[in-house]
Amino acid sequence: MEKDLRRLVIKAYHVTEVLAGDENRVTVDGKMTVSSDVLEGILSKYPQLEKLDVQVIRPGAHDRWTNTIMDIIPISTKVLGALGEGITHTLTGVYVMLTGVDVNGKQAHEFGSSEGNLREKLYLNRAGTPGNGDFIVSFDVVLKAGMGQEREGVLAAHRACDEFIKIFREQMKKFRGEKCTERHEYHDVARPGKKRVLIIKQVAGQGAMYDTSLFAKEPSGTEAGHSIIDMGNMPVIVTPNEYRDGIIRSMQ
Amino acid sequence: MGIGPSTKETSLHHFRDPLLDVVSSDEDLDLMGIMLVGTPDDNEEKMLVGTRAAVWAEAMRADGVIMSMDGWGNSDVDFANTAEQLGKRGIPVTGLKFSGTAGQFVVTNDYLSGILDFNKSAEGVETNMVGENNVTELDARKVTARLKLEMRRRNQS
Repeated sequence: MEKDLRRLVIKAYHVTEVLAGDENRVTVDGKMTVSSDVLEGILSKYPQLEKLDVQVIRPGAHDRWTNTIMDIIPISTKVLGALGEGITHTLTGVYVMLTGVDVNGKQAHEFGSSEGNLREKLYLNRAGTPGNGDFIVSFDVVLKAGMGQEREGVLAAHRACDEFIKIFREQMKKFRGEKCTERHEYHDVARPGKKRVLIIKQVAGQGAMYDTSLFAKEPSGTEAGHSIIDMGNMPVIVTPNEYRDGIIRSMQ
Repeated sequence: MGIGPSTKETSLHHFRDPLLDVVSSDEDLDLMGIMLVGTPDDNEEKMLVGTRAAVWAEAMRADGVIMSMDGWGNSDVDFANTAEQLGKRGIPVTGLKFSGTAGQFVVTNDYLSGILDFNKSAEGVETNMVGENNVTELDARKVTARLKLEMRRRNQS
């Protein structure tokens, strides 16, 4: 007999149009505009950073320069409950791409980097990358000299990006549940009598560009996250639903 | 050192990880959870955290473990040790790692036969293309089937 431990509902809202506009806004019927107006305010909080830029990359329009890709981030927010239970709203059709370089042109990377023509640097349609038909919101960070290799610089880039995403999260919290385009229900279950299996994921934990953040308040977020480095790289356990609700922010 | 752009798992990958989907939906298995273990710089620390992971698995009475990592090179040391610590405790272990031609295990031991390669590039190298050498659903199915086989063998021996 299966034992149902808890339920997580992820409601997806499909975005069909993303444009540069006067404000940062996403509507429940899938229209999104992004604006660079807020960037100056965000930048002022991070002395490690020199410049921020956001741009819309339309599906297929990948014949363009990219700085090294630090992360691809889904835009999701908790609406009810903590990570791993309750309700999460997420956008499909659009993902944030965080890229970084320092003022001297040194790419923010650790071991190998992915700067160049985006068409040749981003493999589409993987679990961790956008699909052919998806928009990308490019969040490009210019760090102060050498900061792309320093932990505080890289963290600042992730945090600045997270602040930008937060603007959309706040709007998505108010989306009406029944307007979602997809609804996924996930249950953490125990299956007594079946083979007990554990997944062990070895994650980055060596330094500035090789870190993993856990336990943020928002899905795939950084705010209130704990670095696995700061936890001594010791093993920690998360539930399947916590994992699929974005309890990990990849910082490598 | 220890990771390349084509193997690294993005936050989006973790949000919709095929390995979790496959294992959690398999009704023959009771997935207890996902353990996350870091990759320290220092060699002694590498041994420590991997051993602690194996002790956890034993304490949980795991019948089997699927390991996965998105790094290669230096982080093989951690990976191989954790597999060995699990194996020594009699816990069947399979896993996923990028090998190709460039990322073959830099260390080896007797407990790595169930570790499968998820290289996707034609030449088996780090292509610097984000997402290319990532775990897909097919990889996840293979490693899960392999674990079931290993667990069955264990029962028969």
